[in-house]
Amino acid sequence: MTALLILSPLIMLAALGAVWKARPVHAGLLLALTLSLAGMLYIALGAEFLGLVQFMVYVGAVAVLIVFALLITRPRDEIEEIARRPKSVGPGLLCTLPLLATLLYTVDRTLPEAPPGTADLPVRRIGELLFTTHAPAVLAVAILLTAVMLGAALFAREPSKKP
Amino acid sequence: MNPLAVLLTLSSVLFALGLFAVLTRRNTILVLVGIELMLNAANLNFIGFWRYGPPDPQLTGPMFVLFGIAIAAAEAAVGLAIILMVFRHTRSTDLNASNSLHG
Repeated sequence: MTALLILSPLIMLAALGAVWKARPVHAGLLLALTLSLAGMLYIALGAEFLGLVQFMVYVGAVAVLIVFALLITRPRDEIEEIARRPKSVGPGLLCTLPLLATLLYTVDRTLPEAPPGTADLPVRRIGELLFTTHAPAVLAVAILLTAVMLGAALFAREPSKKP
Repeated sequence: MNPLAVLLTLSSVLFALGLFAVLTRRNTILVLVGIELMLNAANLNFIGFWRYGPPDPQLTGPMFVLFGIAIAAAEAAVGLAIILMVFRHTRSTDLNASNSLHG
């Protein structure tokens, strides 16, 4: 509970920074910080394996995002983003705040008391479940990832000069 | 204070922040940042209900998170490839610049 109370405000602040920073590299770095802190929260809640997966996969993917942000942004983009802000913040808040209010109201009203006790997440059990109950889903994800790899390579390829 | 309520509040705020980024940002990379935040908020919910809900020997929550992380990685890869392709075409990461399907 202590870890939860310490990490929650930090995660919110980092996420706020990721949403507010105009420079894509800064936003990417703050997103990496948000996801790392979320990984720490998973570890603190007893899901150590998921915390490590979060670090390796998610934060790794975001690192690539940051590299892309460095590659394809120009200083002009940042100035345009800040100039556009007064026009976009109002409608954005108008769409987001009702949703947030509804979610918080639901959390407040419908939640049962949490039962005491700890849940543990043995890696052996995860492996067993992945290759028995969830084997079709694992195969589907494998096919999806192969398709994604081929598709991304195809998309990112330099267009050939020949017609 | 109920720990599950704290966790769900955190995930609600993260989701709302992600949605705000998706709606207000015009830079494609920053929109992708918002989408990642929203996906992570959903994962946080699964972990919260697994940890503070009734005991579940099938570990449904963590399994969802594992698959969710795999899907998020795939989404980031395809998203970045599309961004790169659009950038090659329009020389800009601005969403307003990509307003035509014409090749």
